[in-house]
Formats: sequence, structure tokens, C-alpha cells
Amino acid sequence: MTDPVYFIAIPLLTAFLLPLFGKIYKPLIGIIPGLVFAFTAYISFDLYFNLEPGKPVIVQMAGWAPPWGINLVFGEFSGLIVSLITFLAFLVWVYSYNFKKVGFDNSKKYFTLLMLMVAGSIGVVLTGDIFNMFVFLEITAISSYGLTAFYKGRDSAEAAFKFLLIGSLSSTFILLAILLLYKQTGTLNMAEIAIKSQAIDPKIKSIIAILFFVGFGIEAEMFPLNGWVPDAYSQAPGPVAASFASILAKSGIYALIRVFYTVLDVEGIFNLLLTAGLLTIIFAEFTAMRQTRLRRMLAYSSIGQMGLIMVAFSFNTKAGVFAGLFLMFNHAVIKTLLFLASGFLTYSTKQKKIRDLDGFGKIMPFTSLMFGLGAFAIVGLPPFSGFWGKLNMLTATADSNLYLVIALILVVAVVEIIYYFKVIGRLYFRERHEDVNIQKPTWNAVLAMSILALVIIGVGLYPDFITDYLAKATNELFDKAGYIKHVLPSLSLN
Amino acid sequence: MSSLVILILIIAGFALLSYFGHSINKTAGNIAVFAAAVLIPLYWFTRVDFSETVSFTISGFQMELGYNMYGKLFSLIVMILSPLALIYALGYMKDSKRTGTFYFSFLFSILGMTGILMSRDFISLFIFWEIMTWSSYLLVIFLGKDVEKTGIRYMVFSALGAYAMFMAIVIIHRNTGSMMLNDYFNAFGNFSTGTKFLTGILLMFGFALKSAVMPVHVWAPGAYSNTPMAYTSVFSGALSKMGVYGLGFVVINLFAHANLHFAGTILAWLGAVTAVLATFSAIFQDDAKKLLAYSSIAQLGYIVTGIGIGTELSIFAGLYLAVLHAAFKGVLFMAAGAVERQAGSTDMTEVTGLIRKMPLTFFASLVAIIALAGVPPLGGFVGKWMLYESLINNGNFLMVIMIFLSSTAAFLYSYKFLFGLFLGQEEPEFENVKEASPLMTIPMLLLSVFLMITGSFPGIVFKYIAEGMTDLGFHDVNWQMSVLTNAWGDSVNLQHVTLSIGVVFVVFLIFLTWKGYKKTYYVSTKDISSSGEVIKPEDNMTYSTDFYKPFERVLHPILKRKIEKYYDEFGEGIGALFDFMRRIYTGNGQTYAFYVIVFLVILLVFSKNIFGY
Amino acid sequence: MEGIGYKILGALLTTLLAFTVGMFYAGFRRKIIARIQNRVGPPVYQNFLDVLKLLSKKTSVNHGIMQHLAPLWLITMSVSTLMFIPVLKDGLFFTNLNFSGDLIFLLYIMVFGPLGMALGAGQTGNPNSAIGVSRGLTQMVGFEIPWIMAIVALMIQYKTTSVTGLLDIQSQNGTWMMFSSPLAFIAALLAMPGMFRYAPFDIVGAPAELASGPISEFGGKYLSTMMTSGSIFAFVKLTLYVDLFMGGASNLIELVIKTFALYMYPVLWGAVSPRFRTEQAVRYFWGWPLFFGFAALIYAAF
Repeated sequence: MTDPVYFIAIPLLTAFLLPLFGKIYKPLIGIIPGLVFAFTAYISFDLYFNLEPGKPVIVQMAGWAPPWGINLVFGEFSGLIVSLITFLAFLVWVYSYNFKKVGFDNSKKYFTLLMLMVAGSIGVVLTGDIFNMFVFLEITAISSYGLTAFYKGRDSAEAAFKFLLIGSLSSTFILLAILLLYKQTGTLNMAEIAIKSQAIDPKIKSIIAILFFVGFGIEAEMFPLNGWVPDAYSQAPGPVAASFASILAKSGIYALIRVFYTVLDVEGIFNLLLTAGLLTIIFAEFTAMRQTRLRRMLAYSSIGQMGLIMVAFSFNTKAGVFAGLFLMFNHAVIKTLLFLASGFLTYSTKQKKIRDLDGFGKIMPFTSLMFGLGAFAIVGLPPFSGFWGKLNMLTATADSNLYLVIALILVVAVVEIIYYFKVIGRLYFRERHEDVNIQKPTWNAVLAMSILALVIIGVGLYPDFITDYLAKATNELFDKAGYIKHVLPSLSLN
Repeated sequence: MSSLVILILIIAGFALLSYFGHSINKTAGNIAVFAAAVLIPLYWFTRVDFSETVSFTISGFQMELGYNMYGKLFSLIVMILSPLALIYALGYMKDSKRTGTFYFSFLFSILGMTGILMSRDFISLFIFWEIMTWSSYLLVIFLGKDVEKTGIRYMVFSALGAYAMFMAIVIIHRNTGSMMLNDYFNAFGNFSTGTKFLTGILLMFGFALKSAVMPVHVWAPGAYSNTPMAYTSVFSGALSKMGVYGLGFVVINLFAHANLHFAGTILAWLGAVTAVLATFSAIFQDDAKKLLAYSSIAQLGYIVTGIGIGTELSIFAGLYLAVLHAAFKGVLFMAAGAVERQAGSTDMTEVTGLIRKMPLTFFASLVAIIALAGVPPLGGFVGKWMLYESLINNGNFLMVIMIFLSSTAAFLYSYKFLFGLFLGQEEPEFENVKEASPLMTIPMLLLSVFLMITGSFPGIVFKYIAEGMTDLGFHDVNWQMSVLTNAWGDSVNLQHVTLSIGVVFVVFLIFLTWKGYKKTYYVSTKDISSSGEVIKPEDNMTYSTDFYKPFERVLHPILKRKIEKYYDEFGEGIGALFDFMRRIYTGNGQTYAFYVIVFLVILLVFSKNIFGY
Repeated sequence: MEGIGYKILGALLTTLLAFTVGMFYAGFRRKIIARIQNRVGPPVYQNFLDVLKLLSKKTSVNHGIMQHLAPLWLITMSVSTLMFIPVLKDGLFFTNLNFSGDLIFLLYIMVFGPLGMALGAGQTGNPNSAIGVSRGLTQMVGFEIPWIMAIVALMIQYKTTSVTGLLDIQSQNGTWMMFSSPLAFIAALLAMPGMFRYAPFDIVGAPAELASGPISEFGGKYLSTMMTSGSIFAFVKLTLYVDLFMGGASNLIELVIKTFALYMYPVLWGAVSPRFRTEQAVRYFWGWPLFFGFAALIYAAF
């Protein structure tokens, strides 16, 4: 049994040591992060599969027992997300190992920032301490700003600045919320807050909830707080956009649901989440429809998916959470594939316009195929994994008697089909333009995309590969008393 | 392993085999396709066990595959028409590029249809439905024409239909806790009125859309005419029947058994309106493919009407017409494809006088057209007769008139199709056109033979329909090999009809041909009576532009309003709305920060309403 | 097996009867029109002479197989239709096969011929023929609608779809359907001239415009066959009207009187009318005839 602390410690440490390794032997800069990601992925899977049912692994940092010390909780819920994050981080590394492009240099800077972001996200998911969560969120956010501005251009800088602006607002709100919470309960441990929060004055509690909601909502790409998203996704390098979708957004939504499912106990927040989620879906998908640039289209689509996930979590039912987790899984895997494929599709087009991609199916068969597969999967066509996510999502919605929401989700799905199939139509069924030069995907990129594609098809054909784990994670999230009992054996929810 | 699963796997395997075969070289791929065309139906006819069921649970949903006789009837269409179309495609697609993709999608759509017909639960039904949808979408845009308009339109409408079904499915699951079709049918009576209507209408919408019922038919003309003709025969012949299949069990199991007849009647009305308007549209098409596409919509209208009325004879007529339509529309689309390939166009104002160059294609088209028009003594008449009689017996007199109007007007486009492509002046431009290859003519001729046999012995089809209807809950469905009977006891004896027509025909054939025909010699179509003027070979004497202009003038008030226009306007309006929404993302950092603050303030102001403390 | 012998004999007799009566009627028509136009006109038996003359002529050119088949198609249809209509109410020779077909069947088999004729005319390549066909089919859509409305009204009112059944009901009730279902009769009557294609509905042949339209490339045996078919078909239509609306006929004299009376209606109307344009014809049929058709249907249903 490995210590969950490694997930955070090793990437963090390597991130700072990377320049040193570079001094020793240059190629190590590329190789070491891979080893680290592979290792974290391995240990997280190892830990996750060996988890005893209903018994999360709790680690106390520096020997202080909670509620005084900081603790990490690797349970069935957080373990699942961590495994997903580390797995995708590894694939992003595989993809970007020798990704070459003008202005893109996979040197220490890139991998340092990437590792910081991964470490931060893992921290957000694992930590049992609310202030610690804030710190990790900051690590994630700051490394993301750096990654957004990676191409040293005007547009990238602008995008990064917007991200920074909104991100700092997010940090402020979260910090404010934590301050208020600490003042009311006198503790930062999430389990203890969970016990004590019942006693907080509802007025104050609602303000705390709103601050958290807005703060985490920014990271989770909630409307109307997601202005940073399209710019950041479209200006950052391809693999970075992929990791934003699969890692950054996931930690945001994780924080949101962890706080509202476990820590704070506020009625009414779920209706708010439902409304915000629906608005997010509508605005994002309808905007995506009118985009002419591939990457921006994907960014808006990504927002839409996050909105769907929020809606799923807003039902506050097991079916809803299960569907939400399934959607998170799908979104992480499929959107990563789409971003990775789009990295090569738009490689040598200046404008990254969709219409520049006419007839690429013939000249870039593999990448186009991967994009097409991703598109089929994300709009929820069987036999790909997206379908099962959507099916579970809709049955959950129906179980909550929200028939209108079903209709809305499906209408939006039609919109989604329109813009994705427009791209497919261009890729495969148009004559290509003269004088296009293309970049063939490197072998490792092919590998990374193939693995993702196999996961998509595998889960699509037999979703029970993952449904058990999702169901366990769902149960754990709902077992608030169990969470408290494990973190704080001495106290109990009264 | 179960024979049903093996069947699915075989089709999927052949799809991959054809794809990879074609990426090696054409011959290998064509061999794979040919093997698929032979082995899939062979397996289906000899090895598939129709009493078998396969149950499994995926993601917590119970699923079950298994045939019933009603599904088997439709499978029969799929399993006979698709292999013929595949063989036809071997000839038709000989010189095309990317044939691998074509056959892959083709076989996958067969897989989808086969799967739909053996699904006993909504999830597998929906999965196969979607597979069928996307594979046919790939074929609709295969030629790269009109990708944006036709392709997207097809996909959007298909998605609307599919998602309507999807919504119905989840609501059903919420109310019954099960995904099985039978559980739904059994529980339907106990649903609240709202749920009854919601699920019933959503399902009906999904299925009606696939069967191109107005006003959701707009995807069909473009999709049917843009697809390579080798597939369109299946598209129109078999794929659209999946909608009919679904409508059948919705109407019968739900409406007929739960005394919601009026819902079926509404469907029947829609079918009748579809039949009339689509026929009118077909008449004025200049492209033979478009003409056939509209004609398909009209024919599906009859079928839907038959199903919608919901009496024994009408459903019998609807199902019979569905089978027949598959055969004759299969032939016609194949013929249009043959003309397109051999003469380079299907524009009826250009192509003309191919009868002597492509006699086999003409013969097959002629038989198919006679069947389509419903003229005795071919099979089409049987279906028309049963449909009329059932409507008359049921007292739906207005619907009879509409159907009759539609089928009388159908003579106009039937004639136009034959005249436009095969008859009329033989222009020097088409001097060197050759008959299509046997790979293309043989499937057409086989289907025409079927159409001729059903004229006297429709019982060979009735047998399967009766079995299917027994599964739908009709008892003692009467049928005879060659005698049609309606509810009032009036009947037509088809053997007498065929015999009488045949004898008279032969007598006069001998009379006219005796010493006559052999002594006559052929003169070109330029050698005609022309009031003394001498027609030179280059003179264009073809009358094919604005062929039915007078009729168009009569119908102008009806036809000037095109439903497509409304959809387009709706689409544009939505587009403008989207543009407006897009403006929210101004690209300005301060604005975004402002949104955040405003959002926060709003939440704080309304926190009391949100949290209700 | 003696039944079959009688049947064949009956069929031959019926055909012969239809041919003779039809020919004479056409002759009368020519005579009547001539008299109205203040001409002497040809003798009544002129049509027989025409047919015989054409038969004796040798046909030496054709434009292909469809042209050869077209007249055949036409006469097959006329004779077959005749076989399925009860010419006399009862009796051995003139009922033929009427028990094995019903009205819907009759309606459909009646279009079999024109369609085949149209195909043959199409193959000749003569633009006049094609125009004629286009007009003919359009006009058919026009008059078939009120006609079918009238028939459906009868079928719904009397709950039978067979001609024999309708005849039986008329003899049981003792009234003709033109009195018991007057609206249907009016609709059918208004549609009738279109069926006969006499002026003002002679837009298909349109002698002065289209050089006799579809038949312009046919001569000799072909034309004689067509004329024969035409006269048989005229008789068929008249008999059908008589059966449906005028109680049928129990002997040949009654039949001739009734049909001749009915025949005078399109003939006299035509004699004093100019020609419609195609769209005018359709608009005519979809005007008052349609109104009466609807009225008949509503009357029948409620």
C-alpha cells in the first residue's frame, strides 16, 4: 500500500528539480516527467484497486491528527478522480513528449508548469482540509496562467491576463468564504466543518455558500463566470488545452461538489446549481454553434459538457451523481482526444479556422479518424462511451421528474450534433484546398490518441468496465457520516 | 453463442472486412462485399433461430434480443433487398473512390436495421437506431454534394427523431423501471393520461420522422437523391421501413389496445396529406432521383395511413405496401442509378430515349412503375386495393379521396419517369450509351419478377404479414393465396384477373403481330409526321421541359408555400439568436470580471430566495 | 367443363356486342354533330368502314416495341374491363367475370390502357404525342376525383363495393341510384364528359392543335385496333354508369335505350362547346363536380 502523499509530493518535487535534471542531461527534461506521471498513475491505480470497500485511506501530514493537522483522503470517490487525472496526465505527456512547433519548446518550463498543475489538481481532490484545498487550487491556477501564456504572443498574453483576472477573483471569493467559515466554526478540517456547519447562522452560511459557489464555479467553467475559458483553451498549446479540459475543470467541479455534498449543508444550492448548469449548457452550446475556429468551438463545447455535469450533480440523487461521474469520465477522455487531435489538425493553419480543414480526412487519415470518433462519442452516439453517459444522465433526470430539462438537454444535443458534424463533413466530404501543408502526428501522439480511442470504444461497447467504480464512488459521496467517521474517528455526526 | 449475436457479429465483421479489403485493393474488397451479400442472408435464412432470445444486463439496464414474427417480416425486407443492393453496388461503385467507407457504412446500416428488428428493449433499439442513423448519414454525404445543407439537415432531423424517442424511453424507464418493450406495452394502460400522451407521441414522432411523414419529411428528398443510388434503394426501401415498423407497434400496441384510436387517426391523416403533397411535388421534379425521392415520401404516406387507421385490413395493407414499396422503389432507384452511371445524368430534360440502349433497365423500371401505380395485374394493385377497401369499410371517406387523388396523380410522375429517361426522342448525344452491367441489371430483374408474381399470388407475402400481425395481437388474420376480401365480403380474385387480362393480351398480341410486326422496319424518332416539315437530326424535338405545366398552374396556390422555407427561416432566426448569445462572450477581460461580480451580487441579493432561510 | 365453354362464348358475344354498339354510337355522334353544324355528315356505319379500311392497310414502319404494344395494351384494357362489368343484370352470356372484381378494381384496370397507350405514344418521339399525353394525364387527375367521390359515396351509403351488390340493392329498393343518391349522380355526371374526351374536353387529341396528339404516329392495324378499343370502351363506360345509377338492364333493348340516352349528354354538350385549356378543364372538374362529390359523401356518411 502506497502513501497518497506521493501523488502530490513527487510531482511537486520533480517540478522544482526539473531544471537541475536539465543541467545534467538535456533529454531528461522530457523523460523525467513521463516517469513521474507513469509512477503516479501506477500508484494511484494500485491504491485505488486495492482499496477496501468503504474504507478510505487517510494520511495525516506531519504527524498531527485531524482536526489540527492536514490530512489527505483517498477514498472511492477522490481515488477515482485522482486515477483519472493521473492517467490523463500521463497520456498528455505521451502526446507532448516530442511535440514540436514554432514557439513551442517542451523544455523545463512546459513540463514544470504541467507537473505543478497536475500536482495541484491532485491535491485539490485529495485534501481533507479546506484551506489546503485553496492552496492547491492556487497552485493549479497559477500554473495554468503560465501555460496559457505559453506561446509568447500578444493573444496568449491577453488570454492569460483574462484568466488571471477572473482566477484571482475566484481565489478572493474562496479565501473570503474560508475566512468566514473559520470564524464561524474555528476549524479548517472539512470533516469537522461538516459537523459544525449545522450550527452556523443560515444567513452567514448562505453567504459562505454563495462565495464558494462563485469561486469554484469559475474553475468549473460555470456560466456566466466562464469568460476566461474560450481564450485560454484556444490560445494555449494543444496538449495544454486537453489538460485544462481533463484536469483543471475536473478539479474545479470536484471542489464544488465536495464542498456542497460533504462540507456545507445548505438547502437550495442544488436548485441554483441546476439553473446555472442549464444556463451554462444553453449559452455554451449555442455559442459553439457559431464559432469558426476549431479550438474555440471545442472550448465552448467543453463548457457545455461541464454544464451538463453540473446539472447531473444538481439532482442530489445517487442516479444523478452516478451520471455526473460518468459524464466527467467521458468528458475527460473524449474532450482530451478531441483536443489532442485538433492539435495536429490545426497544426499548420494560421487561423485555426474550421474551413481550413476541408478534405483533411484524406491527407491526415488517422488524426481525422480520431477527431471523428471523438465527435461521434461526445454527441452521444452509440456504440461509444458518450452514449452511456447521456443515457444515465437522462434516466437520472427523468427520475427527478425534470421532463423539461430532458427536452432541453436533447435540444442542445441536436445543436451539438450540428456543429460537430459540420466539422466531420468538412474533414471527410469536401475537396481539400490547394497548398495545404500538414504535420503528420508523431508516433507517441498516435499512441496517446489510440489509447483514448480504445477506452472510448471499450467503454462504449461494455460500460460495465467502469460502472462499478462509479457506483462505489457515488455511494461514498453520499455517505457523509462515513466520511466523517473515517477522518475523525473521535467525533461523530450528531 | 446465440445465433442472433453471431448474426450481428457477422455483419460487423463483414463491414470491417470490406473496409480493410478495399484499403488493400479493389478486388479483395469486392470479394468481401460479395461474400457479405451472399453469406449474411444465407445465415439469416438457414441458421438464425427465430425463437431464441438473448438477455444481458449492461450498466444496470436489462436488455434482450429476440425476434418476433413482426420483426421478422421487416427483416425479410432487409435481408432480401440489401444483398441485392450490395451486388448492384459492386457494379455501380466500380469506378468510385473510397469504396471502403461506402461498404463499411452500408453494412453498418444493415447491422443497425437488423439490430432494431430484433430488439426487445428500448436501449438496444435506440443503440441500433443510432448506428443506423450515423451510418446512413455517412452515406448521405458520401458524394460530397451539399454536405452542409442536405447532410446537416438529415442529421438534425434524424437526431430530433432519435432524441424524441430517447426522451420517451427515459420517461418510460422512470414510470416502469424497466426498459423492456413489453413491460411498457403492458403498463401503458395504467399510466396517467399525460404520460400516455407524452411517451406515445414522442415515440410516434421519432418513428414518423424516419418514415418521412409531413411536416417532418424535409430531410428526405435531399437525402434520398444525394446518396449513391446503390444505397438509396435500401435507404428508401428498407431503412425508412424502420419508421413504419416502429409506428406499427406504437399504433397497435398502444393506441389500438388502449382505445386511443384518434391518435392513430391523426397519424393516418398526416400520412394522407403527405401522400398528396409529396405526389404533387414529385410531379414537377426534373431530376429523376428527386422525383423518386418525393415518390418515396408519398408511398410512405400510404403505408402510414394504413398503419394509422389500425383496422386489421388497413394494417395488413400498410405492411403489404411496405414490402412492395421496398421492391419497386428498390428497382426504380437502381434503375435511376444505372441511367446515371451509363448516361451520365438523371436530369429528365436532358437524358432521353434510352429504351433501345438499356432495354433490361427499362423493362425492370416498367414493371416497377406499373406496380407503383397500382395497376393490375401486378403486385402494387393488391396493396392499393386493400388500403382503399379498408378505408371505405371504416368510413374514412375523405381519406379515400386523398389517397385516390394521390395515386391518380402518381400516374403523372410515373409516366414522366419512364418517358423522361427511356422514351421520347433518341438524341445523338446518347448514341453510345450501353446497357448496365449484369451486376446491376440482375438485382433489378429479380425484384421485378417478384413484383410480377405478387400480382397473382400475393399470398407468398401475406403469409409473413399474417404471422407478424398475429404477434401484434390480431387473431385469425384471414388471407388467401390469390383472393382479396374486404370486411363487407366483396372480393377480387386475382387469378381470374391475371388470366383474363393475359388471355386477351395474348389473343390481340397474336392478331397484331401476325404478319404485321416482322414486316415493319424501325425508323428513327426523327422520322415522324410533322405537317410536311423535314426534321433534321440536330433539331431538338424533345418535349420534356415543363412537362406538366398546365397542372402546375392549377396547383400553384398549393405548391407556392414550401414547408422547407419555414424551416429555413426558423433556422435563420435561431442562428440570429445564437449570434446574439455569442455576443455575451465579448472577449473583454473587464466585462468577464464584471459578469462575475454581477453574478455574485445577484446571488447575494437573492440569497434569501435561494436558500429560503 | 361446359361452364367454361359458355363463359368463352359469353365473352365473345359481349365483346362483339360492345364493339357493334360502340361503333354505331360513334357513327351517330358524327351524324348528330354534322347536323348541328348544318352538314349532311357521314353515314352511321362509317366507322365500320374506317376500321375495315385501316385493317386492310399494311403497316410498314414502327418506332420500337412500346409503340407496337400500345394499341394492344389499350384493347386489352377495354376488353378486360368489359369482362368484369355486368352488362345485363342476369343471364348467361353477359355477366362474365363480374363476381371476381369490384369497383375499385374496375377503376384501376380502366387506367391500365391509357397508361400503356401513353408509353407507346412516348416512344414515337413525336412532341405532339408527348404533349397530348401530358394533357391527358392531367385531365385524368381532374375528372377522376369527382368520379371517385361519387362512387365512394355509393359504396359507403350501401355498404358494398361490388357492382353486382349495387345492382342488387337497386332492384331490391326498386329505385335507381340516380334518384336515391342524386348528389353522387350529379357529381358523376359532371365528370363524365371528361371521361369521354369530347369537346370541351377534347384537349388530348385536339385535332387543330396537336395533330391528333398521342395517336399521330399510329396507322393501319394499330389505328384500327385503337378505334375498336375506343368504341368498346365507350360502351363499357356507359354500361358502368347505367349499372351504377340507372338500375342496370335486364335485356339488351333496355340497355341500348339507357346507354344511348346517357350517351347523348356528352355528345350534345360537346357539339356546342369550344375547347378548354388543360388547366381550365382541371379547374372545372375541381369546381362544381367536386362540390357535389363532397355533398354526396356527406349525405352518404351521415
